[in-house]
Amino acid sequence: MTVSALVTSVASPRKATAAILANAVLIVIALCFLLPLAWLVLASLDVKATYQTQIPEQLSLDNFAAVFNPELTFLPLWNSLLLSGGAAVVTVLASVLAAYPLSRYAMRFNKPFMYGVLFGTCLPITAIMVPVYSLFVRLNLLDSIPATIFFMAATSLPMAIWMTKNFMDSVPVSLEEAAWVDGASAMNALRRIVVPLMRPGLSVVFIFVFIQAWGNFFVPFVLLLSPSKQPAAVSIYSFFGQYGAIAYGQLAAFSVLYSVPVILLYVLVSRGMGGSFTMSGAIKG
Amino acid sequence: MHRNAKLALSVLAATSMVALAGCTAAGGNADGDSQSLKIVYQKTDSFTALDELFTKIKPEFEAANPGVTVELEPIQANDDDYSTKLALSQKSAETAPDVFYEDTFRLRSDIDAGYLLNIDDQLADWDEWGQFNEGAKAAGMGDDGSVYAVPLGTDTRGIWYSKPVFAAAGIELPWQPETWDDILTAARAIQDTQPDVVPFNMYAGKGTGEGTVMQSFYELLYGTGDTLYNEDDQKWVVESQGFKDSLEFLQTLYTEKLALDPSEALDPNVWKKVFGELFPQGKLGGTVEGSYTPSFWQTGGSYEWPAYTEDMAVATFPTQNGEEPGGVSMSGGWTLAVGAKTADADLAFDFLALAVSQENALWYAINNSQIAVRTDVASEPTYLAANPFVADVTELVDVTHYRPATSDYSKISAEVQAATEAVITGQMSVNEAAAAYDTAVEGIVGADKVTTK
Amino acid sequence: MSADTVSRPPSEVVGRPGPSGPGPRRRPRGRTLTRVLPLAPAVVLLAIFLLGPVIWSFYGSFTDAALTGASAQDPQWVGLDNYLTLFKDPVFPLSLWLTFVFVVASAIVGQNFLGLGIALLMNRASKVVSAVVGTAVVAAWVLPEIVAAFVAYAYFSEDGTLNQVLAAAGMTGPNWLYSFPMLSIILANAWRGTAFSMMVYRAALNDVPVEVTEAAMIDGADGIKRLTWITIPMIKNSIATNLMLITLQTLSVFTLIWVMTAGGPGNQSTTLPIMAFQEAFKFGDIGYGTAIATVMLLIGAAFSLVYIRALRPEKA
Repeated sequence: MTVSALVTSVASPRKATAAILANAVLIVIALCFLLPLAWLVLASLDVKATYQTQIPEQLSLDNFAAVFNPELTFLPLWNSLLLSGGAAVVTVLASVLAAYPLSRYAMRFNKPFMYGVLFGTCLPITAIMVPVYSLFVRLNLLDSIPATIFFMAATSLPMAIWMTKNFMDSVPVSLEEAAWVDGASAMNALRRIVVPLMRPGLSVVFIFVFIQAWGNFFVPFVLLLSPSKQPAAVSIYSFFGQYGAIAYGQLAAFSVLYSVPVILLYVLVSRGMGGSFTMSGAIKG
Repeated sequence: MHRNAKLALSVLAATSMVALAGCTAAGGNADGDSQSLKIVYQKTDSFTALDELFTKIKPEFEAANPGVTVELEPIQANDDDYSTKLALSQKSAETAPDVFYEDTFRLRSDIDAGYLLNIDDQLADWDEWGQFNEGAKAAGMGDDGSVYAVPLGTDTRGIWYSKPVFAAAGIELPWQPETWDDILTAARAIQDTQPDVVPFNMYAGKGTGEGTVMQSFYELLYGTGDTLYNEDDQKWVVESQGFKDSLEFLQTLYTEKLALDPSEALDPNVWKKVFGELFPQGKLGGTVEGSYTPSFWQTGGSYEWPAYTEDMAVATFPTQNGEEPGGVSMSGGWTLAVGAKTADADLAFDFLALAVSQENALWYAINNSQIAVRTDVASEPTYLAANPFVADVTELVDVTHYRPATSDYSKISAEVQAATEAVITGQMSVNEAAAAYDTAVEGIVGADKVTTK
Repeated sequence: MSADTVSRPPSEVVGRPGPSGPGPRRRPRGRTLTRVLPLAPAVVLLAIFLLGPVIWSFYGSFTDAALTGASAQDPQWVGLDNYLTLFKDPVFPLSLWLTFVFVVASAIVGQNFLGLGIALLMNRASKVVSAVVGTAVVAAWVLPEIVAAFVAYAYFSEDGTLNQVLAAAGMTGPNWLYSFPMLSIILANAWRGTAFSMMVYRAALNDVPVEVTEAAMIDGADGIKRLTWITIPMIKNSIATNLMLITLQTLSVFTLIWVMTAGGPGNQSTTLPIMAFQEAFKFGDIGYGTAIATVMLLIGAAFSLVYIRALRPEKA
């Protein structure tokens, strides 16, 4: 007979009240969070959109039609996909590799490295864009999507390494021990045992980097020259500048189009993780 | 060593990804026999005229110069971001443009930075340079008297007012104020007769940026007899009465609610409201804006409003008390320049010359609502007929002034904007704001570069 | 948890001469190299793209490098001039203060407590409601920053949704972005970032063993007592780490503020990133701008040190 059966009687009235209260508060919170987004969706379907949240007189896809052209929408979205996906993949690869020695070996420079890397997360990217630009010029890397991908990966690495190492720490070493006894090398064990167990964690890191890269304006703006390589973050920025106060509906439509891919990705990934996208194991300190 | 080898290999593969990126970087290096010209310019949703022009002349130029490729590199960004990206690209020969689009306002500081090529020699050999008027020749001039850029056109600023609104207030049309008080009188009349109309707006605050000074403050300041910058001594003017009077005029407009609400004035998008909503709906009496205004309202513009030809009129902004020359205007404008790091100066200049040939300059002036800087274009009937206001705005060239576009100018301009903002929001009195401006200017340029005359 | 106390991977255990097992040893150089090799890609990327430019820009803050003007051609060493100018600049102390307020209010108080609160409530609420709330909160986080910024701008503008809601309750709301710029950006940033804290705390609370809280319940401790004396101390590590991460992230928030208020009106919402951007790119004053960025980095480092100290007693 466990303690739980004794105490946690579901039928207890105090618990029921607590549950109702909790539900109520949470619903209010959910509404607060959703309200601004409701405007976005409604405005995109309303040709007469304003800043107010209003039910459109007439649901219409005209706003979407207006912004739906390859140059304005498709090509930039594709470039965004390349850049963000590429950056996320490179980051995950590099941080898994880097996290392994940090997690499994106790070396004197582990702590300093981790903390040094942490300082990297508070770096304002705009501050280093000028030297980065000069660097790219010298290495002849300007207007190159692969090079920009590597740069964006590098700037995501600090946070990613931190999170990946923490995820890895919660994978028990005992599983690898069995593999070692069988003669597997460190890298093999990493690939066959640790990584599969870390899939939820790696998905979290992937999404994190992807979302940040998706919304990044300044880096591609500075490092990419041809208009045909610019991602959606750059084209949407000029869109806001131009249409600003007047064409709210079109702006909203464009924003929806721009946001849908990341939202989809998030939904896919959390489904893949069994519906629970959590930071379990990410933040242990 | 089997395991080590595998490890080393995977790491090598990873690191070589980086190296590979370096080798296979894109970036059209023009090696081999073909030469290429890189043209950098701004393109936005509302400003496509230059892009169209360049796209038009590219095949023409390539045909006339076999073996040469013209690479058009438009930058889709607002003015600030455009100039940032342009400046970054100027730093090295591989990325520097051969021909580029440059604001007159940044000219002098970019000349100091060594980004522009001195084109005196090329201009001397060019027979069309004589067609450009005096103001145009001065616009592209550096401190050393050499010419570094050729203007694409210019603009002026004046009062744009709504005839229906003024008529309903009983003001006699056509309206031409002679003094500042005339403006206030008319505005108050509109306020009395039409309470839901904004009588007379003038930009203020940092939101509108350079627009605040070019389309508002300077029209006031340069009509008082005082200036911003003493050209002869090359010193900035502080403690001038004209500065304070101009601030006071703005303060009056805003406190009497003759202009927009300060909170709206500080919105960077306020000009869109002015062009897109207030004027077309007859909710604004008048404002001070540029000669490029028709480009927003004509067919193909961002805020198409066919009735503008009937409802709108232009008046000259008056001097403070009607002193000579009786009006004030400000001119800016954009130019085309040749990059200092260009491989072939003559070829680059040829492209530039083609872009501002008579035929192309005429097309550009009409399609971008520019004031012609070539005398042959200015007399063309199609130019004069482009919109009903061409003659009015061109006349303003006679009373126009130019900004003292030195390297420090943008910071000083920001201080002027800050002063106007402090005054219309009531955060500082006129005297306090003027004093704050004086201190700031001294901090920017140093005590030896300020003067009270 | 670290790998100190258990077995060590192959390079030390299998097929190697000499003793193996826990405890620090002097390793032959080749072994250390092999172990460290997987770090190489990350280190290379970081060194080239991050370390190099950081050092370069640190150096740049001691020059008068600029994008335009005479010093663009020929930057001069000016020593500490940029920093001296910065400390004399009246906007700097204001900016420092505003940044401090922004970080404390929107991250340390806003996101952190809201995230913790939501996570705690989720444990009591029904599964469906939890799922709905989770999605709503995360949606704001997943949105690209500029879309979130624009949505927030629309929400807080004078004829925006917030005032609409207030009007429905019979109140006239002010022009939030103009009259209460800091409050607007604080609320907007809390709205945007709470998801991160919520996810961290959900995971942390999950790891609190049920037996402990139940033992407390048997001993007669009520909900609040249990929370304060049992639950919170058990997730102390997560709290500290979370605070550290969201502080650092919030320190560099730029786009949200830029789109909503552009640092205005005047300088009333000019946090350090806004100030750095304005100086570096609007005025082209790179040297000065990177001086501001260096100061930001130092502030971030200072915050980190505080948190690390708080974490240290927990480390075994």
